[in-house]
Amino acid sequence: MEQKLTDLELIQNILAGEPAQYALLVKRHQRFVFTLALRFSKNREDAEEIAQDCFVKAYKALATFKQTSKFSTWLYTITYTTAMTFLRKKRLDTDSIHNEETFVQLENQTSSFNANDYEKLDSHTFLNQAIGQLMPDDAAIITLFYKGEQSLEEIGETLHMEPNTIKVKLHRARQRLKEKLQYLLKDEVKELL
Amino acid sequence: MNTIEQQLWEYIDGTLDEAAKKALEEKIASDPEIKAQYEGLLKLNSVLGTLDLDEPSMSFTRNVMESIALEPAPVALKTKVNTQIIYAIGGFFVLSLLGILGYIFYQAKAGFAGFNLPEKLNINLDSYITPTTLYVFLFVDLVIGLIFLDQFLRRKVHK
Repeated sequence: MEQKLTDLELIQNILAGEPAQYALLVKRHQRFVFTLALRFSKNREDAEEIAQDCFVKAYKALATFKQTSKFSTWLYTITYTTAMTFLRKKRLDTDSIHNEETFVQLENQTSSFNANDYEKLDSHTFLNQAIGQLMPDDAAIITLFYKGEQSLEEIGETLHMEPNTIKVKLHRARQRLKEKLQYLLKDEVKELL
Repeated sequence: MNTIEQQLWEYIDGTLDEAAKKALEEKIASDPEIKAQYEGLLKLNSVLGTLDLDEPSMSFTRNVMESIALEPAPVALKTKVNTQIIYAIGGFFVLSLLGILGYIFYQAKAGFAGFNLPEKLNINLDSYITPTTLYVFLFVDLVIGLIFLDQFLRRKVHK
């Protein structure tokens, strides 16, 4: 009977000289890493670049991974730092053209929704739109908490913050998300949620 | 002081302490407004839990594997840094330093006026430190070094 190898078992095999098994790790985590990168970059092309860079960095540093914590937490920390470096670099490039904050521009872009289009969409689409309009940190915390199966402590480790700060930020992020949904859906918010 | 919404979220997350939890449960049961707020947040919470993750491009895994193909394979640090090799190198340097130190002391002409070593301790080191003993010392070090190098290379071949 074939059993699915755990992350730690796969890492041990890779370190023992089976680098091809890294593909299994990538396949297992790519959706979440990509989604997290997308929360920061708000752009699929950039998110793909960040996610790819993140997996290459993780591979190079795999020997330094302390196998006492979850591989996913370690990987998300790399995603966060890679995304931050990427955005900082990108913002520097953008600033040289015109001095406006990238996130503000992005928020304006995504808020240009037509109310008539909403009828066709389901609650998930609305939710994704609302998350897309949040600030990167808020969107990342919500994603990590609900989809990354990460505790407040682990999210704190990933985002280099105290668990209590994460708790407060999570509360604020959900509050802002609710406001965004109310703005997007107007009266329909009660029916959809 | 926490707002009622924050308390409700903490209740949903299960991070509220027992006393606060009981007090809030009573509020939910007695106040229809709080109950409606609680039900709304509960719904939002369950929808958030069913959020779909985004999918990267079809060639994502292949692209990553192509990028890492150019990188040297990661090796466990345990294999990389063998403690025996570290001890051997450390031992070699300690022996060398002791040898040099001994030679310096032997060469130094320090002395105390009116102080003479007892007859039994008055060893003539001249007879011990000769080119032959130095060669023997270096030869032993070289042999130890080669033994550890051999062990290291054998282990690599077996992997």
